[in-house]
Amino acid sequence: MTAAPLFSQSLQSYLLVSSLLFAMGIFGLLARRNLVAILISLELILNSASINFLAFNKFCLVDKTVGQVFVVFIIALAAAEVCIGLSLILLLYRRKDSINIEQAKELKG
Amino acid sequence: MTDLNLLWTIQVAPLLAFLLIQISPKNLKKIAPLVGVAGSLLAAAASLVLLWQHLGGHGMPIEFVHKWLVVSDRPLWDAVPVDRYELIVGFLMDPLNLLMINLVTTISFFVQLFSVYYMHEDPSRPRYFGFLSFFSFAMTGLVLSNNLLQTFLFWELVGLTSYLLIGFWYEKTSASKAAKKAFVVNRLGDLGFYLGIIILFLLFGTLNFTALTTEALQGRFSTSILTVLGILIFMGVMGKSAQFPLHAWLPDAMEGPTPVSALIHSATMVAAGVFLLSRAYGLFGASFTTLAVILTIGAITALIGASLATIQKDIKRIMAYSTISQLGLMVMAVGAGSPVASMFHLSTHAYFKSLLFLTAGAFIHHFHTNDIWEIAKKGGKKETLPLLALCLGLFSLCGIFPFSGFFSKDMILEAVKEKNIFFYGAALFTSFLTVYYSFRLLFVLLFSKPTGEVHAHPGPFFLKYAMAKPLISLAVISLFVGALGTPLFGSRILHWLGGHESHMNLGLIATTAALIIAGAALAFMQFKNPEAALIKLDADKGFVKNILENRFYIDDLYEFLVEKISHKIAGLFDWFDRKVINGLMVNQTAYSVMRLGRVISRLQDGLLQDYLSLAMIVGVAIIFWLIKAT
Repeated sequence: MTAAPLFSQSLQSYLLVSSLLFAMGIFGLLARRNLVAILISLELILNSASINFLAFNKFCLVDKTVGQVFVVFIIALAAAEVCIGLSLILLLYRRKDSINIEQAKELKG
Repeated sequence: MTDLNLLWTIQVAPLLAFLLIQISPKNLKKIAPLVGVAGSLLAAAASLVLLWQHLGGHGMPIEFVHKWLVVSDRPLWDAVPVDRYELIVGFLMDPLNLLMINLVTTISFFVQLFSVYYMHEDPSRPRYFGFLSFFSFAMTGLVLSNNLLQTFLFWELVGLTSYLLIGFWYEKTSASKAAKKAFVVNRLGDLGFYLGIIILFLLFGTLNFTALTTEALQGRFSTSILTVLGILIFMGVMGKSAQFPLHAWLPDAMEGPTPVSALIHSATMVAAGVFLLSRAYGLFGASFTTLAVILTIGAITALIGASLATIQKDIKRIMAYSTISQLGLMVMAVGAGSPVASMFHLSTHAYFKSLLFLTAGAFIHHFHTNDIWEIAKKGGKKETLPLLALCLGLFSLCGIFPFSGFFSKDMILEAVKEKNIFFYGAALFTSFLTVYYSFRLLFVLLFSKPTGEVHAHPGPFFLKYAMAKPLISLAVISLFVGALGTPLFGSRILHWLGGHESHMNLGLIATTAALIIAGAALAFMQFKNPEAALIKLDADKGFVKNILENRFYIDDLYEFLVEKISHKIAGLFDWFDRKVINGLMVNQTAYSVMRLGRVISRLQDGLLQDYLSLAMIVGVAIIFWLIKAT
């Protein structure tokens, strides 16, 4: 029995990758000041969720299509969300000449 | 026309005039004097008709009442045997009211007419005539009302118009100050009046004049309660009729236009107090102590007024102090138990004093000065008509036979003499001073040598008419009204008022005649050379002069009370309000909420990521807690 490779075709490795992606996404979301970067971090989080879906789908379910349908939906949703997010950022840029999130705090009480 | 319609006419005509003047558009304001005069003429005509219809005096008093308000139909407490409290409104018509209403409306009419002349250069004429009409309305309401509360309402309204008209030239600081003073001093008196009305209503259950008879009241209350009630209501009289110590507002009230002084501050409004004394005599007469207080206050007022009048240089102020002292005499007469004499003197006084004020107005309007020496220097004695009217008025004031004051003043003296010899002396001394200051005024005008050129006052005919007509009419009326009280005419007024026949008391006549001669002689000695007398007067620094100059220090006393004591107390309350109520309670509450808000609002810095972190921390915490719970 050879030692288990680092990246074996097991559920754990999928989950490891997805949680890494999720952590990076959260970090980016909280730490970056650039709105585009924040949007990208959001994508990372969504993608990590997608990987989770696929991983559990692959190892735990009999019917392999349910998770994939979900992921397709997530991708479509992410595309739509990026579309709106980018257009908001563009508007903000036109107004403020900047996409730094610290500039966008006029709504505070 | 029925009585009720006539009464309504008298009551409403001046009000209509007031409303008409107030609502008429700007370019029609020119007709304001006309409207005012017409309104008062209508009221005067209606009251004359009313008097004519009831000359016989049968079947009076007549009351027209209307229920107004049921205060309570149960007894309010056990000690008082009244089981129904009801307020009514209505007209009361009896000889006293009829006499007074005629006096008020006729003098109103003449004063309105004279104002056409006096105010004809003033740009705010419409306001003036409006207020004057409103005053007539309030005054007729006061006279015609049949219960104390209604009287009180109109009493306040005349006070208001008095305030408005004293301060008519409100741009002048002195005028607005005088108006304020009059208002505040009157409020002091009215406070007592109102308290008296409330107590009387609670204890007695009705405020109708017809019910306030001495017998009914004495049967119901002890003497001490009656004394308290009488003195409380007399406080209102003290304020309105300028009795000591609330007399200080009347001389200052001369800041108003002169016709206003003639109408309000000599003939009618200040006489309203005396009228009330006679109207509710049942209440005052029910207690011996009240009458004694009234007599004393009247005597002090009469003496103070007359003595202060002797050193004034301002013609209107002389007359103002003279009014105070004459009002004091009337109040004395009531205090001596003779409201008839008081009302008789009130009527004669109203006519000759308004005449005097109107002549003063004529002089002031012509020479543009109030100082009698100035008027004399500018040729006052060349104004024949005002001078004649002035003589007539002054002779009446002094009580020279056969002018009207003679009859009424003698009647008062007689009533006081029967009561108390000490007060009789005070009244006699007042008369002496009256003669002295009257002749002083007259001699200064007559004996001065005019220096300046007399400028003629050209004007349209209606102005001359508006000046001359009231003077002549009032002069004639004041000649006759006194004679109506003599046995020669069957003592008409006295019978009318329910008094006894006046008998010619030869001793009294001799005394007054001696007083007149003495007073006139003294005035002649001092003022046969007015210019020299003026220099002497100014140079005099004696004790008496000093006291008189300072008006017996009464105004200073008020000033002290107000500025030193009342302002201090007010300052204390002000501090409490500012620091404790406003500062500690209200503001601190607001500040602490604000501070808390400021702390909490730190959380909301507007940075999206901070919110997100917080949400995430809380979310993670909740999840951990949930896991731990399972």
